[in-house]
Amino acid sequence: MSIASLQCPQPIRHRLAVAPRDYARRDRAIESYEAGEYLTAVHETLGYLLPDIEIPDLAQAPLCFVQGSARVRVHIDDDSLVLSTALMALTPAAQSTAALRYVLTRLSATGQLFQPRLHDDTVSLEFRDRLSLLHPSKLAEVLQRMAMESDSNDGWLAHRFGVEASDREPVAPLDEAEFARALEIWNTHWTTVNELMQESRRRRSVRFLDALGSYAANQVRYTLPLFGSVRAALNESADAYTDKDENPNKRDSALAKCIKEMRQVPVEELRACLGNARFAINPLHEGTPSLLTSMLGAGHRMQTTGELRAVGRSLEAALELIADYLYLLADHSWPSEVEAALRGGLDLVSGKPWREAADALWNHANQTARVYGSHGERARDDEDDGDEDEIRYDA
Amino acid sequence: MTPELDLPIAAPQSLDDIERLGVYQVYTGTGTGSGFLIDANHLLTNCHVVQPYREVAIEMRDRSRIIGRVCRIHPHRDLAIVELARAVDGEVLALSDGEQLKPKQGVHILGFPVGLPLSLTEGVISHARQLLDEQYFLQTDAAINPGNSGGPMLDDQRRIIAVTTCKLNAADSVGFGIPIGDVRRFIDEFRAQKVPFGVQCPACEELIDRAVRYCPSCGSDLEANHEFGEYFETPEAHPLVSFVENALASADIDPVLARHGSHNWSFHVGSAPIKIWCCCSEHLNFSSPMAQAGNRGLNELFKFLLSAEHAPFAFDLVGSTVRLNLVVHISDVFAPSEYEYLAERVRAFIKKADATDNLLITQYGCQPAPETQTEYLKGGDHG
Repeated sequence: MSIASLQCPQPIRHRLAVAPRDYARRDRAIESYEAGEYLTAVHETLGYLLPDIEIPDLAQAPLCFVQGSARVRVHIDDDSLVLSTALMALTPAAQSTAALRYVLTRLSATGQLFQPRLHDDTVSLEFRDRLSLLHPSKLAEVLQRMAMESDSNDGWLAHRFGVEASDREPVAPLDEAEFARALEIWNTHWTTVNELMQESRRRRSVRFLDALGSYAANQVRYTLPLFGSVRAALNESADAYTDKDENPNKRDSALAKCIKEMRQVPVEELRACLGNARFAINPLHEGTPSLLTSMLGAGHRMQTTGELRAVGRSLEAALELIADYLYLLADHSWPSEVEAALRGGLDLVSGKPWREAADALWNHANQTARVYGSHGERARDDEDDGDEDEIRYDA
Repeated sequence: MTPELDLPIAAPQSLDDIERLGVYQVYTGTGTGSGFLIDANHLLTNCHVVQPYREVAIEMRDRSRIIGRVCRIHPHRDLAIVELARAVDGEVLALSDGEQLKPKQGVHILGFPVGLPLSLTEGVISHARQLLDEQYFLQTDAAINPGNSGGPMLDDQRRIIAVTTCKLNAADSVGFGIPIGDVRRFIDEFRAQKVPFGVQCPACEELIDRAVRYCPSCGSDLEANHEFGEYFETPEAHPLVSFVENALASADIDPVLARHGSHNWSFHVGSAPIKIWCCCSEHLNFSSPMAQAGNRGLNELFKFLLSAEHAPFAFDLVGSTVRLNLVVHISDVFAPSEYEYLAERVRAFIKKADATDNLLITQYGCQPAPETQTEYLKGGDHG
């Protein structure tokens, strides 16, 4: 094993400046809906989900908001609310049949309220329903999932099938210095993952594979502002190799294939898929004190990591801890002080030998959970300040 | 000559053709089970299969269903008799006298395990009179699965020796049947029954035809273990169930015939199969897997399927199967003022499913889906 430590580079991905959710506004939306004030309920739901957007009077003017590369349009038509977001336009040169099959197989489905629709040669995701049938939880679900699906698939469809991206929001590209650093992170990351992959195969440990898979996906998600075809390919592979219900041999193969494919991504394609997009709806989960406690606090998870340290298996312990920190940062939005604390943990261990990294991050995790977790000092302060049922950060 | 050939046993009846036997699948709003004919108009099954319903659906071999009215239940012994809406022609299996059962004798179990078509599993008698919870059972090592409940256990002469009722989850190959003696007595008493519905007292087995606290015959407290009055009441339906079943009734679909377990319904309208289910806590799905895409003209087919003209319905592809879907959010179910509007949407969905499978087959080169009732397809021979 030649690799002696992991680098935890600073992210190029911009920190999302999305205002925290105003849950009182969601509750007001539900009250309005139950009182039969449907338009007010829609307005409040939009305000709750899109905290940084000025919501117009939809009876008078439509709304368009941006989610990554997707533009989602909202308007009132008669007594119904209509949502739509264009996905692709078929062109004579495109592999239309394959693209349409993909849409019918992957984007059209039971269990979702919006569906793809074809108008002339343009495929959009659409939803329409009466205002009186728009409970805020239903509207919130459609807004979030439809916007996310559109943002996730537009670049993928264009790249894979040669269709034309339609009505897309341009994503600001990285400047040359940022791109050079991104390229270095990208190349170093996949070289490192490839080496750890050999170690995983040598050890034949499912637990090692779990940690490595999480690290492989979340290091990229955290550090690089990926979108389009490369992000879609990475996410599709990650779904396979991080699926703990799947056969470990299949997961191993999926990770090996992913490493190979990611290392072969042409530089220009990677450049075209890197840029900091705008998101009207927070695309990340909201981090909670209880999540910090369950991941980093005293419990089965940390206990088993601690056992690895105790028996000298520092590489596994360090990899698990780093992967957990990256997962918390990549998939969740946090108040700035929590995010800084988590980032501080990675700074502490970046480039450090395995044993030192495992010990330092173990102590840091315990400290972070103690301060910011659900039973932590910070949470207790919050409880003293108010009588909320649920502990929330007030960032 | 081997000694066995000299034994005076009856010639074994063949179990090669189980399809003609009078064993049918029972559908309710809580699950599915098995049952067998005791005559052309009556089916015997487990009490837990039909409870808490007084009307259930019985599926015939051609997948049509008929209503069954529950006439008699014995909750303690887990037996029930259902009167069928019409006579059926499946073979009525003979009841064994049950006297000669011994360990290692062969057992053949008929039923519908995990909702699969009629299946036969085999094993031996592990114990002919196993005492469990103060009742005797026939114990067998033959495979028993959910859905087998209420089906017959047969001996090598194809006579019923017990009624499948349960198995031990914590053990392998430990299944139980209600001994034929108890079954025979239950049937005999039913033959003499004068009331349309009755429940047997768990203590004295006297038939009780109304909700009472104490058994009129033996004075036992009938509510000691169960709310006895519930046997005489229609269970209160979940709002989601009320919504679906009212919408189906408004489309002239009998909801009892459509029930397919908890929050699941399935039925055919014309040629089109229709399934209704909840995939999560948020969505109620209506779906018709109506056809299978062919190999040619797919671009035109896919454009048709994605056309905006189908809204609020939508097609999708699962493998090569084309499905028409309608998704209702669970919050809609709690908007009673919109019921009629939504019921109209459900009716339109059912009508469109019935009409569109023909269109896909005749105009877009599709084949019928495995569950399509091809005899109802219009416009040519569809195999």
